[in-house]
Amino acid sequence: MNLRESLRISWRSIRGHKLRSTLTTLGVIIGVASVITFMILGGAFTEDILGDVESENAPVMQVQTQTSPEAGTGIMIVDSPIYTESDVAAIEGMDDVEYVAPIGELPAVQLSNGTESVTGGFTTVATNGVRFADSDLYDLQAGETFSAADEAVVNNQTTQLFDANLSVGDEISLSFEDGSTKTFTVSGIVDEDITGQPVQPAVYTPLEPHYNTTIETPDGEQERAYPSLEVGATSLDTVDGVQENVLAYFENDADARQLKTDGDTIQVQTLDDVVDQVSGIIDQLTVFIGGIAAISLVVGSIGIANIMIVSVTERTREIGIMKAVGARKRDIVQLFLVESVILGAIGAVFGVLLGIGIGYLAVSMLDWPMIYPLDWIAIAVAVGVGVGVVSGFYPAWRAAKIDPIEALRRE
Amino acid sequence: MSIARSSDETGASPVVSATDVRRTYHLGEPVHALDGVSLSLPRGSFTAVMGPSGSGKSTLMNLLGALDTPDGGAVEIDGQSLTDLSESEQARLRGTKIGFVFQTFNLMPRLTAAENVTLPMVFHDTVDEGRRERARTLLERVGLGDRLDHDPSELSGGQRQRVAIARALANEPALLLADEPTGNLDTETGDEIMDLFHELNDAGRTILMVTHERQIAEHADRIVHLVDGKIDEIESVDGDGR
Repeated sequence: MNLRESLRISWRSIRGHKLRSTLTTLGVIIGVASVITFMILGGAFTEDILGDVESENAPVMQVQTQTSPEAGTGIMIVDSPIYTESDVAAIEGMDDVEYVAPIGELPAVQLSNGTESVTGGFTTVATNGVRFADSDLYDLQAGETFSAADEAVVNNQTTQLFDANLSVGDEISLSFEDGSTKTFTVSGIVDEDITGQPVQPAVYTPLEPHYNTTIETPDGEQERAYPSLEVGATSLDTVDGVQENVLAYFENDADARQLKTDGDTIQVQTLDDVVDQVSGIIDQLTVFIGGIAAISLVVGSIGIANIMIVSVTERTREIGIMKAVGARKRDIVQLFLVESVILGAIGAVFGVLLGIGIGYLAVSMLDWPMIYPLDWIAIAVAVGVGVGVVSGFYPAWRAAKIDPIEALRRE
Repeated sequence: MSIARSSDETGASPVVSATDVRRTYHLGEPVHALDGVSLSLPRGSFTAVMGPSGSGKSTLMNLLGALDTPDGGAVEIDGQSLTDLSESEQARLRGTKIGFVFQTFNLMPRLTAAENVTLPMVFHDTVDEGRRERARTLLERVGLGDRLDHDPSELSGGQRQRVAIARALANEPALLLADEPTGNLDTETGDEIMDLFHELNDAGRTILMVTHERQIAEHADRIVHLVDGKIDEIESVDGDGR
């Protein structure tokens, strides 16, 4: 019997039980819809936090030391100061390098503005002024980079720590672990919301005279050293070349290579690398949640199998009639399989529509950009049809096995 | 058994022949539903099978209709032996050589009259355009030319049985097998159905009808009496029962 004919007969029987068919497909609809919804949310979230970065991509890279913890998995950032002034100078001398900004943390514990103070919850970083003057990455929203020892740049998050938001020209003071206090004038406010990751309040001060951590170099001299560096390349076209040169330098010549602990690795990550890393993590999370949502697809599939078995029992007599007029086993299998595949496919199609609908609503409420996860839509439709095949197979086989004599005797 | 043998001599090439057919059911103890039945149906004959319940009427019908296979003996339908057929070949044979008419009509409830008639053609992969036309012709033939798109639930019992007869004729079967075709109909409607069988028989159809009503059986050319799985007597009907 040809496929069109079984489509027609199966469709007739689905329509003959409207309520039942609707409830059956509902299982698949919910399963597919939840998978699609989560995929839209995941995709939109990625797009929301990374979309800006991709459009504002800057030729900037971060040099850091990483270690694998002895117990457990993952990676940790090591903050021992191993990048010396000589390393900074060597990188500054490379082709296409726009600037090198050492990042040295200062042990400040309290930040005050007038009578208000904040203890902890912020970082204090000593760096050089070119980081804010020359970088494409950071927008100075107000003011300019520091140019004197008692000037500091703060980020947006810091200005919001105080009731009266900080502005350029305000005075702030930092109290350090050793009890000393230094006073700075805010020279500029920087916008650091670029990677979409939460940004900690930060105060940036000049290196001189505040940062004094030194280390003994392999040559036997005492030099200032930093736990990490930021390197800016001249343009996006040169950033990869610079990254390679810097990596090569750290693998072969750098002081840091000899100063680092065995087993630690020196990482040179461009903004692009960071974006890849973040989107990779979100993708994994999305697939994980989507996987949980897919469990409801399994439930939906059991629903189809269940109703098909009921249907086979109910239609025993019809199966007997069909066999009496010449239906072969495979005709019967085909009829029931087609029916369950139709149920699965309808479930998948409406599930995709519903999922897109819910996803769209959620995304607009969260103010995220809408995305259409085409790959997942295709997967969902395929899975819906697959669910129909799998859950229809056993009932169809049972139907085909029915003895026509017994079936026709039934009232 | 002498009478059975004599019937073999009548037709040149019988449509169906059963030779010493046995069928035993094992329901706790073996039940010999058919215990050595030989019967042949000459082309164009109209045979009725009568007998009390449990006499093996239904078993005989199932065997001659290729719904069942014998435990012993041989059944040949239109020159084809049932014994060495696979299940799917058996289904095919059923679809092409046999037309069933049941007491309870057995129409597909969700298909229209015309679709019910096309059903055997669907399973036989008859070309699509031909089917609808043939269904119309057949339904006109049984007097239901104006009921093509009616659901079975919209038809009377007699009309349903006519649809069933049209369906049985769909693939031009060699044998029309009717199981108590008037059992669910009132006398008047039953007579109309029997008239239709006569017309078909006059046009050359070979018909085997199982019934327990003497009056209905007398419509046939001859009556086979089954008792305890054996042929007790084959009676010729002289007077025309119509």
